[in-house]
Amino acid sequence: MEAIIKADRLSKDYKIYKDHKGYLGALRNLFDRRFTLVHAVNDVSFRIYPGELIGYIGPNGAGKSTTIKMLTGLLVPTSGEVQVNEFIPWKDRKDYVKHIGAVFGQRTTLWWDLPVRDSLELLKHIYEIPSDRFKQNLDSFRAILELDAFMDTPVRSLSLGQRMRADLCAALLHDPKLIFLDEPTIGLDVVAKQRVREFIQFINAKRGTTILLTTHDTADIAKLCKRIMIIDHGKILYDGEFDELIKYYGGSRVLSVEFAEFYQDPTIDQAKIIQRDGVNVIYSFKREDISASKLIHQLSEKYRIRDLEVQDQAIEDVIRDIYENQLLYN
Amino acid sequence: MRRNLSLLFRLLRIQIRSQLQYPASFVMEVLSQAMILGFFFVAFAVTLSQFGDIGGWTLGEVALLWGLAEFSFGMMDMIFSGFDYDAFGPLVIKGTFDQLLLRPVNITMQVLGSRFVLRRLGKIIEGLIIFIIGLSLANVDWTLGRILYIPVLIFCQVLFFGSLFIFGATTTFWTKERLEILNVFTYGGSEIMSYPMHIFPRAIRLLFSFVVPAIFLSYFPMVYILDKPNPLNMPVFTSFLAPFIAISMFWLSLKFWRFGIKNYQSTGS
Ligand SMILES: Nc1ncnc2c1ncn2[C@@H]1O[C@H](COP(=O)(O)OP(=O)(O)OP(=O)(O)O)[C@@H](O)[C@H]1O
Ligand SMILES: [Mg+2]
Repeated sequence: MEAIIKADRLSKDYKIYKDHKGYLGALRNLFDRRFTLVHAVNDVSFRIYPGELIGYIGPNGAGKSTTIKMLTGLLVPTSGEVQVNEFIPWKDRKDYVKHIGAVFGQRTTLWWDLPVRDSLELLKHIYEIPSDRFKQNLDSFRAILELDAFMDTPVRSLSLGQRMRADLCAALLHDPKLIFLDEPTIGLDVVAKQRVREFIQFINAKRGTTILLTTHDTADIAKLCKRIMIIDHGKILYDGEFDELIKYYGGSRVLSVEFAEFYQDPTIDQAKIIQRDGVNVIYSFKREDISASKLIHQLSEKYRIRDLEVQDQAIEDVIRDIYENQLLYN
Repeated sequence: MRRNLSLLFRLLRIQIRSQLQYPASFVMEVLSQAMILGFFFVAFAVTLSQFGDIGGWTLGEVALLWGLAEFSFGMMDMIFSGFDYDAFGPLVIKGTFDQLLLRPVNITMQVLGSRFVLRRLGKIIEGLIIFIIGLSLANVDWTLGRILYIPVLIFCQVLFFGSLFIFGATTTFWTKERLEILNVFTYGGSEIMSYPMHIFPRAIRLLFSFVVPAIFLSYFPMVYILDKPNPLNMPVFTSFLAPFIAISMFWLSLKFWRFGIKNYQSTGS
């Protein structure tokens, strides 16, 4: 299958100019061209294939939004190449953006002062969406995203969750084959998050839309994405299946025990005590060292147990481990 | 292009509709604006009446210059509202310019459509009235060429001021702040264009001939229309350079604008 996005050795440096304040400050900004460079995205290559739903994750400032801005043609790459279908995003901007959709969770792409309805109507003209298609799409999205309650509210008065739903609808009215979602669940409550997730899944499954998604919520990833790319300091650390990553790096499991009486030294081979509070003890162990049932068996032979629970290490923690310990750097 | 224009008009219609929400107060505002601005001319006229003329130009003749400059600047300020720092600065600083780049439409059209300050009608009306006063007071030997040159001049002045606005907006990509000095050329330029320029000191004249060639858009053309002696001893063709200068400046400003867009860095988050 031919890749829909091809990024090759893509880099973006931001130039940070010294910011002069006060009288004539602006004039000096114009002529004082000394700058420092921020290597926001550094030599990144990847392929994305039609129909994929990919999670693009990494800590704050990793370079996710910068990558997306290059892929959507908002920023000109400092070096490297990017091609989406037959387009070079920043060069063919006007023709290219007809075929994509984008939602930036941090800010709306709708008209601040216009009611949602008028905003969407305006998009119909901007994208030259045929009337029947527009109506079909709008009707379907309105139902799934439950837009009706605020169709006539100006965008500036919408709650975050409402705004995100309006933005999602707006990004999809023109039937883009490819959409970019930069933190579409940021700041949403659990219900709203769930609704947005379901919508993303629907679009990907039912319409075959290719989706590149960034998020800080690992639950988004766990629920939605088969493949993930992890970026940090502008470099891709991992590109592959999410399950593989968890299996490989998330081997450690946790056993929480409540003993029936207090033991001075409830140690056991092949498991590590990571927390201890009276009769409550938490062990950590590796799947490959010992199975849960064996561990519990050994414990119950030596001690009297009132209650216990086995958990896989939270995905959240696995990802944090990877970020913090730069596990993927080897 | 047709599509761009139709979108532009659609955007403008939205702007105008919301600004006309309270028609009575809108009309009051426009009229009082026109009056406030008009008083500057009244004060000038009263002062001038003590001297009879200014640099050999009568009140009616100056009124033609003045009215034209006010009218054109008002038109420009209305059409190019989107390029005004008040509107454009925040786009760049907050990064909402991103949203324009995401749309499959010409960026310039979108900026033009992003704001349309209808209130500028005050200045336009004021300019028009002063121009009409000029027509009634001045003795002009109207030929077809002279009559036709008036609308051409208005068009050129609008383009000229518009280029300055586009130029100013483009600098925001780097400065992020209002470049106050540009007001010297825009607002200062329109002020200077209201007077027969030979009355100004040489340095000012040179500034507005070579740095910002305002002199070719009002003074020299008006020398032709009014058939005035030319104390600056300029060749006759300088009266007809207005279209050439306005169009080149506009072209240059659009080039600079494109360059600026390429250098747009967006903002974090
Ligand atoms: N417009 C800009 N001008 C200058 N520096 C920028 C700009 N945008 C981003 N940066 C810097 O580039 C780096 C990458 O930023 P980017 O916004 O791509 O990160 P991100 O992965 O999206 O982070 P977050 O998860 O916080 O959204 C950061 O160091 C950031 O400070
Ligand atoms: Mg980001």
